[in-house]
Amino acid sequence: MSSPVPQVRSRMPRIAEAPSRLAGSRLRTSAVERARLTVVPRTRAQAARMPFVALVSLMLLGGVVGLLLFNTSMQQSSFAATALEGQATTLAARQQGLQMELDRLRDPQRIAAAAQRLGMVQACTPAFLRLGTGTVTGRPCAADGSARFRITPPTPVKPAALDPAPHVVRVTAPPAANTSGDTGDGAAGNGDAGDRKNQQQHQQHQQQQQQTRR
Amino acid sequence: MRQTRPPRGSRRGSPQLRLRMGFVVIAMVLSVFGARLVQLQGLDPNSYAAMASAEGLVEVDLPAERGDILDRNGKPLAGSVDGLMVVADPQMTSDKAPELARFLYHRLDVDYVDTLKKLREQGSRFEYIARRVPAAKATAVVAAAEHAGFEGLGTRRDPLRDYPAGDVAANLIGFMGTDEPLAGLERTFDRQLAGTDGSARYEVGGGNRIPLGESTVTDPVDGRDLRTTIDLDLQWYTQRVLGQTVQDARGDSGFAVVMDSRTGELLSVADYPTFDANEPTKSPKADLGSRAMQDVYEPGSVEKVLTVSSLMDLGLVTPRTKIAVPPQLQREDRPINDWFTHGTIHLTLAGVIAKSSNIGTVLAADKFEQGQLYDYLHAFGLGQRTDIGVRGETQGLLPDGSAWTHQMQDRIAFGQSLSVNGVQMAAAVNTIANGGVRVSPSLVEGEATTDEGEVVGTDTATKRRVISTQAARDTMRMMERVVDPDVGVAPGAAIPGYRVAGKTGTAQRVGAECGCYDGTFTVSFAGFAPADDPRFTVYVVVQNPRNGGGGGSVGGPAFAKIMSYALQRYAVPPTGTRPSRLPVEW
Repeated sequence: MSSPVPQVRSRMPRIAEAPSRLAGSRLRTSAVERARLTVVPRTRAQAARMPFVALVSLMLLGGVVGLLLFNTSMQQSSFAATALEGQATTLAARQQGLQMELDRLRDPQRIAAAAQRLGMVQACTPAFLRLGTGTVTGRPCAADGSARFRITPPTPVKPAALDPAPHVVRVTAPPAANTSGDTGDGAAGNGDAGDRKNQQQHQQHQQQQQQTRR
Repeated sequence: MRQTRPPRGSRRGSPQLRLRMGFVVIAMVLSVFGARLVQLQGLDPNSYAAMASAEGLVEVDLPAERGDILDRNGKPLAGSVDGLMVVADPQMTSDKAPELARFLYHRLDVDYVDTLKKLREQGSRFEYIARRVPAAKATAVVAAAEHAGFEGLGTRRDPLRDYPAGDVAANLIGFMGTDEPLAGLERTFDRQLAGTDGSARYEVGGGNRIPLGESTVTDPVDGRDLRTTIDLDLQWYTQRVLGQTVQDARGDSGFAVVMDSRTGELLSVADYPTFDANEPTKSPKADLGSRAMQDVYEPGSVEKVLTVSSLMDLGLVTPRTKIAVPPQLQREDRPINDWFTHGTIHLTLAGVIAKSSNIGTVLAADKFEQGQLYDYLHAFGLGQRTDIGVRGETQGLLPDGSAWTHQMQDRIAFGQSLSVNGVQMAAAVNTIANGGVRVSPSLVEGEATTDEGEVVGTDTATKRRVISTQAARDTMRMMERVVDPDVGVAPGAAIPGYRVAGKTGTAQRVGAECGCYDGTFTVSFAGFAPADDPRFTVYVVVQNPRNGGGGGSVGGPAFAKIMSYALQRYAVPPTGTRPSRLPVEW
């Protein structure tokens, strides 16, 4: 910044003096008088310190605040990411659950069972109807469902130990108490005997109970 | 600097002394710091660094999602559902362990005692409580536990394997154990299906990932889907028809194969009894594989079509070749009988096939030169694995070289003394359907690499001509007579309106104990339709039927049902040509 100034200063006299050797002395003195340059005191502009300091501190402050905001926003997006990840997982699980359900619904076994419940039967032979010409190829026949299509295996036969023959006890039903007079005394007598027996049993039972109470 | 005298009356001592004392104190403090520094950095720096980094650092595995196994239309046979594992931190759960165990027992159906033990595990911070819980359920349980005041439960991703169709194609797909595949395609193609697990390390604060914190994520590589050639609906239908057939015949087991005649793609490989892939442990171990691929059996009379077509390819016979069939044929030390008693009957070759005469076939096979029948059967694919990607496939048993005696050739000619597996035999019969060109069967669409490094699939399917087109056509016309209601033995296999070619088989079975024919039978029916332009080849086999039925009465109707369904499903109209009227007698 200061280097050009000495050059100018040293050169100026030479320029001023150069024509003086050629021209006359009168002219010389006046010209030199006129051309003599004096050193101008350097004017150093005193820059105001305040704006600079303010600018720097503003930048610093801005930087710090910006960094803080940036960090906060990153943290914020991290929270959002966690929340969204959770949501995505839930939705994916739901989608998979629904897909699983759909596959179960498409299971041929289920469809066949549903069809059979609706009373549908197997077609007997394949036959085709050509829509263009209305001709039938193949030998169509009515599906009567006589050959039942079993889609579930029959229940397995249990071994004898697990499936004992039913124990059948034949009981002669006691005739009704108020039978008509025709059937008569025999029946009534039976009935009485039965009643008596019941009463006896009842009494015995009561005695047993009393004994246990004592 | 000149030494100054201490001011009079000062009780703090000389500055020099105080300075020294101060230095000593500072030196002592600094040396304590120094010792601590050496302790921290010099003696055991790593453990402290690890402790520091473990604070708030989370490391999780990112399990790869297992690829689906699909049918030919993209419907899932096996699918992965996003399950969760419920895990516990025993340090947090041990206080309320009994209550929490009870809660979990009710909500997740886990064992109470086991869970209690896990919740109290000393020195552990991670215990599995339940694996493979559907995500929605697991999340609900953990939320409910938190609501009830229990702490220390969490969830992690844990894909769940689901088989939507239960037992459909379970014999092929196999099933999964807790962590690894145990059987079937699941295991054979595990490398493709499994994918590679990833992992993630990141720092968390308050449950949220800390931005700009340490974060390393290795993304998991999900497994690739495996697409099979199986048709889910057809497979289901075949399994049910087969099940009903085996049950009604009171048989031991059975299998059925449906094959696309032109491409060799297996549309269905059904086994009965089979298992539910969702609950494999509920079925006996013997039912967990595929009998169609893993069991050997003697094919019986179905094999006659291979013998006869080979003879015709050599030009030694025609469908009208006249054969006088005696009541019994004495060969070396053993007599050969037919399945039906007869006097001397005059059958054409077509009649021999239609009536399934052993004696007639043996007489025709006498025209072979040594080794010719073996070469043909080998070319038909017998005695070699089909290599379709099913584990433990048997290669069957085709005697060769010195084992091949003339007496053996007689028996092999009508399907005994050699063993096959189901798909092998279906592919052999399909050779006739496909105009004499054997196309190798395939189960996998495209291509896939098995765990043994073999590349299998439709892309690697091969074709090779075994017999001439004319020989195949003549054999087909003879096989049509089998389902003829007047002259054939399997009218039950006919489909009204369609031309059907087929062949019955009733073979004696070799018992496991004695290694001899034990009086039980393998009955079967193989055929294709429409006979003059075949689209499907169906092969049904029932082991040990106890209702006295043969290949025609047991296998025939099952064949007709399965074939009808396939024709209807794939909209294959009848060709409308007249069926063959080859004479069966002369």
